[in-house]
Amino acid sequence: MEFLNPTALYGLLALPLLLIPYLIRRKPRRVVFSSLLLFAQPGMRAGGRPLGRLRVPLIFFLQLLLLSLLILALGEPVFSVRASNIAIVLDNSASMQTAEGQQTRFALAQERARGLLAELGPGGKVDLYRTVPRFERLRATPLGSAEAAGIISNQEPYDLADTPTDYPGVFGQMAKEHKYDRIYFITDHPAVGQTDILRVLTVGQPKANFAIRSFQVTRSSLVTSGLEATADVANFSTKDERIKIALKSGATIISTKQLSVAAGSNASVTFEGLPARAYYEAEIDVRDALPLDNRGFGVPPPSQGLRILGVSPRPQALMSLRSLAGISLDVIAPNEYANTDRSGYGLEIFHFSNPAVLPQNPALFVLPPDNNALADPGNPVSSTIVSSWREPHPLTRYVNFALFRPAYARPLTPRTSGEAVIESPAGILAFATESGGVRQLVLGFDVFPYLGRQNLPVSVLTLNILDWFFHGSGGTGSATGEPLTFGITQQGTVLITPRDEKIALKPGSNRFSATLFQGIYQLDRGTHRELFAVNLGNRSESNLSEPTPIEVRGAQSSGSGMSALFTLWPYLLLISLLLLFVEWFVSPGRFQTGWQPGHHKTAR
Amino acid sequence: MLPEPFTPQFLSQLETLRLRTRKEFLGSQSGNYSSPRRGTSLEFADYRRYTPGDDLRYLDWGIYARSDRLYVKLFREEVDLFAYVFVDASASMAFPSSREKFFPASHIAAALSYVVLANHDHVKLHLLGSSFAAAASPFYRGRRRMTDCIQFMTSREPDGPLELARSLAEHLRRLRRPGKAILISDFLMPAASVQQGLNLLRAFNLDIAVIQVLTRQEVDPPFARGGLNLVDSETHAEMRFQWDAGARRDYQDRLAHHNSQIRSFCHQSGIHYSLYITDRELDNFVFATLPAIGLFK
Repeated sequence: MEFLNPTALYGLLALPLLLIPYLIRRKPRRVVFSSLLLFAQPGMRAGGRPLGRLRVPLIFFLQLLLLSLLILALGEPVFSVRASNIAIVLDNSASMQTAEGQQTRFALAQERARGLLAELGPGGKVDLYRTVPRFERLRATPLGSAEAAGIISNQEPYDLADTPTDYPGVFGQMAKEHKYDRIYFITDHPAVGQTDILRVLTVGQPKANFAIRSFQVTRSSLVTSGLEATADVANFSTKDERIKIALKSGATIISTKQLSVAAGSNASVTFEGLPARAYYEAEIDVRDALPLDNRGFGVPPPSQGLRILGVSPRPQALMSLRSLAGISLDVIAPNEYANTDRSGYGLEIFHFSNPAVLPQNPALFVLPPDNNALADPGNPVSSTIVSSWREPHPLTRYVNFALFRPAYARPLTPRTSGEAVIESPAGILAFATESGGVRQLVLGFDVFPYLGRQNLPVSVLTLNILDWFFHGSGGTGSATGEPLTFGITQQGTVLITPRDEKIALKPGSNRFSATLFQGIYQLDRGTHRELFAVNLGNRSESNLSEPTPIEVRGAQSSGSGMSALFTLWPYLLLISLLLLFVEWFVSPGRFQTGWQPGHHKTAR
Repeated sequence: MLPEPFTPQFLSQLETLRLRTRKEFLGSQSGNYSSPRRGTSLEFADYRRYTPGDDLRYLDWGIYARSDRLYVKLFREEVDLFAYVFVDASASMAFPSSREKFFPASHIAAALSYVVLANHDHVKLHLLGSSFAAAASPFYRGRRRMTDCIQFMTSREPDGPLELARSLAEHLRRLRRPGKAILISDFLMPAASVQQGLNLLRAFNLDIAVIQVLTRQEVDPPFARGGLNLVDSETHAEMRFQWDAGARRDYQDRLAHHNSQIRSFCHQSGIHYSLYITDRELDNFVFATLPAIGLFK
């Protein structure tokens, strides 16, 4: 016999509470009597002991039985029949690498899975699934026990976070399509509820953990070549901790620092004046159950300063940016954009132009045409005044908006969610968006050409914009599961993964999607190597102390009408009702008047 | 205004009764009770040799004719009776309420007093208790003093503990004439104390009758099952107690044993003893039970 809602069985622990009414009733009532002469004589049984022998009536045992049956019914007991067609879903996300004693959670999950296969009948069939990089079936056809055991042994957890999945819906669909007798989901997340088909087998216990939530290497400023690295450390435990963090490059330790992190919060540390290295690695010196998130990787920005790709039908206006220190600028016509290698640019400026698809790089849109995806430009306005601006904000810093009066402007109506930075009475003049770490800014007026001191308000705004993009294009690297994008590859280009696997890339490809593990990926183009830092995406995976529960209530049954379970709770409920009737016959007065402890002030 | 039981019919029935004494007392006036003295009643008592000066009317001429000796006939003297009614007025007599225990006890005392008063004898009421030491009425005589009796009985509320012997001693110190003593109490005190008190009455040469008054609640306590924190109405001492059928049985056994101890002592000591449970009819007790034990003629 099994229980679909075993949590309810904890209610059995509360059964002794049933004694409380009897203990209360047993509390001596104060009764005045004419004389205690005859009570005080030896031989009469005094009840002075507070925890003396408790006398409970027969009805107590009826009530105990009634409550026990109700709690058992709440536990939804079922008799299980041996299943012959099952599915096993293995959670192979990053948190399954957490150590549980000598084994990882994933190893425990594999053991559980093999145990389930051993219980499968000789003619039983099993389908295997895994959850990351996407929820997928490992083999197209059902497997036998032995074959499935072999496949399970070959599986490994990836450095990937759980993908947001509608588990009740997915499992319900699986059960309906494949008519599974039972679906086992082996994961490190606790489950809320059970169904007759779906069983969530949880491995591991909540644990304290420390993690590097982000690590990025950036240049100190637009015009200098100095590097700095910033690491953000999270403390997923219940006590404050002082953590030693080391900045390394390969086996060489560049610097170490101490960091105090309060319980349940984050703290960041910055390493300045870094020596030039191909890549950097931050590592916290703690012994927790998940070593994976104790490290973060970063590569320095690909070039000194800010490398800009300008796309404009009026290239001369953009050329004025070349006068600024730290700026390298390439300008192309809008029709050349699709065929241009855009890797390595820290900013793309679309001047009176609009790409067919929004760029991967940070982008500035200056007076975009009507058909752009970000904002709907309104009617032109001349000599508009600025009525409000976001403050404090890096974009509006030091700008004298009293003197800021664009000669030509088109107020914008945003088509995406963003933050209005500058507004005029006619509408928004500038708004910024940021998604996935990529910044985009749309301007309803033209800031080019850069005129320096001749137009200080606009020039200060232009410098603010460049500085904002410069700091927004730091070397945060990619997250596991996100594709690496790079320039179009030639014949013989090889990608070397953090596990030293060499993957030959097809000529003409410009992306690599299977970033399953964190670390440094090297793109070997023969003549030179490009480095990419990939870190564990979605750092909430590191929160081992409060794993997100999986809601499986409502997952539908297979609909085949052949459940592997025989539900008992309705019968238990029926027996409970019968017992209630028996109790009513035994003691009907209690049902009529409710329970009232007897109080006698005098023995009348 | 007499209380409820004392209807004209009840009073007229009481008038037919007369207290019976097993001792002879010296009365103050002529009455209906025999005295150890020789007097002028119609009841023959003895003979005595004639001495000069004796009244010749009392010479028994028949004896003189048979024996040639002169004897005079002696007759009993009949005197009035002094009755003392002692009523326990301790706090236990107010359990569960005065109306249910002390009033019935008072009614018995009043009924007995009326019997005495109706026979033109003397009655004196005593309330036994610690808080009103030696509270006693004057001697009443004549049935018109019945209201005074009732008034005295209702003048005080039962209160405080009672030490029977000490309280009786306080009252007996002022007692000058022997007579009939009637003690009304619940006797919920150690049997030795009861015996000590009764012996004190015996020492004063009183003809004693004892009426034990208990309520139904004391005979069969109506406690619900479970733990009890019992409080003594007199001493306020507390005691925890587990009450169930067994405990009820034990209690009743002990009460019966306690009562039998008092009853057997009374029988051995020539004391009239009777038990009155207050839920019973008063007239039935007065007109059936008390005559049965020989309290009335």
